[in-house]
Amino acid sequence: MIEIRFHGRGGQGAVTGVRVLASAMHLGGRYSQAIPQYGTERRGAPVVAFCRVDDTRIRERDLVHEPDIIVVLDPQLSRSVDVARGLKDGGLALVNHPGSYRDTGLSGNFKVATVDATKIALETLGRPITNTAILGAFARATSIVEMRHLEEALRGELPARIVESNIAAMRKAYEGVSEAVDVSKLPKRVVAVKESQEPLISYSRDVSDWRVHRPVVDRGACVGCQRCWIYCPETAISVVEGGVEVNYAYCKGCGICAEECLVGAIKMELEEE
Amino acid sequence: MKSEVMVGNKAVAYAVKLARANLIAAYPITPQTTIVQYLSEFVAEGELAAEFVNVEGEITAQLACLAGSIAGARAFTATSGPGLLYMHEALHGTARYRAPIVMAVANRGVRTMGPDHSDMMAQRDTGWIQLYCENNQEVLDTGVMAYRIAEDAGVRLPVSFGLDGYVLSYTAEPVEVPGQEEVDEFLPPYKTEYPVLPETFDEDIERYKRHWAKGKSIDEPFTPLAADESFSHLTMVNWGGPHDQQWRWRSHQEAMTRAKQVIKEVDEEYGRRFGRSYGGLVDEYRCEDADAALVAMGTVASTARAAVDRLRRDGKRVGLVKLRSFRPFPREEFRRIGADVDALCVLDRSISLGDEGGIVYNSVRSALYGLDERPTVMGVHLGMAGKEVRVRDIERIGERALAERGGAEPPVRWV
Repeated sequence: MIEIRFHGRGGQGAVTGVRVLASAMHLGGRYSQAIPQYGTERRGAPVVAFCRVDDTRIRERDLVHEPDIIVVLDPQLSRSVDVARGLKDGGLALVNHPGSYRDTGLSGNFKVATVDATKIALETLGRPITNTAILGAFARATSIVEMRHLEEALRGELPARIVESNIAAMRKAYEGVSEAVDVSKLPKRVVAVKESQEPLISYSRDVSDWRVHRPVVDRGACVGCQRCWIYCPETAISVVEGGVEVNYAYCKGCGICAEECLVGAIKMELEEE
Repeated sequence: MKSEVMVGNKAVAYAVKLARANLIAAYPITPQTTIVQYLSEFVAEGELAAEFVNVEGEITAQLACLAGSIAGARAFTATSGPGLLYMHEALHGTARYRAPIVMAVANRGVRTMGPDHSDMMAQRDTGWIQLYCENNQEVLDTGVMAYRIAEDAGVRLPVSFGLDGYVLSYTAEPVEVPGQEEVDEFLPPYKTEYPVLPETFDEDIERYKRHWAKGKSIDEPFTPLAADESFSHLTMVNWGGPHDQQWRWRSHQEAMTRAKQVIKEVDEEYGRRFGRSYGGLVDEYRCEDADAALVAMGTVASTARAAVDRLRRDGKRVGLVKLRSFRPFPREEFRRIGADVDALCVLDRSISLGDEGGIVYNSVRSALYGLDERPTVMGVHLGMAGKEVRVRDIERIGERALAERGGAEPPVRWV
């Protein structure tokens, strides 16, 4: 049995990712299982989902604690979540990251492969939803699932209008994934785990590392209508002297403010590393 | 046969579609909601010719199904946790009417979101048949079988079947979907012999009155007509007949007893036709030479199979009794199994607060009363309020059951 754990953020499609993967593995003639771990659904919050594959029907119903493979959908996530926890010796970490295996900060008795899935997703889908891109990289890096099965499974899971762009993302990532490199010699890095220390719904919690894009307010264009202040789900916007200001510690980069601004005074800009 | 990776909730929807239900009334609640979403899609796409009734709550959902069932419809509803509790009073009504409604319950706790059997356990005494499933394939198969059991002339009882919320409702795994023609052969359209229809209401009432006037005995063999008399709204109309209602409970209990055989037969026939059967009331796994056997329901049984395999690999003779039918309760089976093992260790995903031990534990213990050689019965609470049930936990429980077999009963444990 091969056990896989996906780490992502709410909205990046980890749940759909494991389901497509499980369907594709089954199309390859094996038994599979896709388990989402539901919690307090909140866009941007760290989430996990699991996938198992075996030659016989899978009876285990617990979560995956000692995965053979981990898949990380977000480049910032490994700073605040111990994504490699329990990863088996000789296992594989597939990480969405613009840099090389060294830049991921992961080290241990396993290998790391990287792919810039966010860039691929932005180019092909126009949104930083990285689940389908990472599956293409997964096929190449693991050889345990075939691209044709992934593509067929994707057609069954996604609405028809977005299937082709997602397949394009998958293929791009298949080509773009790096070689898996052993990271046992790299220095250990302590993860400042933020999980479980504060409740997930907590407006006193720093969520700045959830962002892919940051809202930037043009004070000159802002008319002070306060629509963004009304719509911000994180109450990260304050009205100061008639104009708005973003409190970046509590902004998760969802982009609702920019969407709602009637005068185009808020632009979403890509976060820099 | 078509095989598709699907979540448990979709397996339920497929079962209802294959059973060609005529009436669906349900109110959304996590983690049941997508059952109704899939069904509404089937109806909207014309794949299922059913009346889809939007209701304002679970009581109405149940009562809409009841009215439809009396009129002759094959009715379906689904709920979960607090929704099931809200439905409670109406469940008694449906059962007293002996309306063969089928209900799926995505088992979850009450005042918690996690998987737990407290919701269905709280309906234990409503008179509904209760079946519990361990994987998505069994969910689909049980959904189809449920109508055969419910509509059987000797049973005529509503059937509920549970799938552990989240663990099955949202987990996707391969499920074989039987062909519609094969299911049609297995499950012919529902035909109530005494429908109560608005256009013939006065006539029907007269017919019931005539039957009532003949007087009746609870020792009479069960007939569809006797089932018909259970339409208790008729006795609420005061027409001067004998108002002894206790016979209904006795008649209901007799139907429950008959249901044991029907559940077994339907399961066997399903196996012959579709190649999958589930042991009837209980499924014994590696029990032949077992020194100790675990008893579990729902997905805990699935995880326990993996644990039993690991224990066996180490030469530890532990088996599993999967309890599939909690109501009717298979007392006879437990007496037979209990005579062959030194220990029975019951894993409960619920509790009756204020007594000792879980609800299944006490039922098993009671079933064994009076046996000449009784196994040591142990009770464990686990997996409640969504607590994760791990294979290694059940392995340890199995080892403990072996170690303590034949001795005095240990206190009930929490894992």
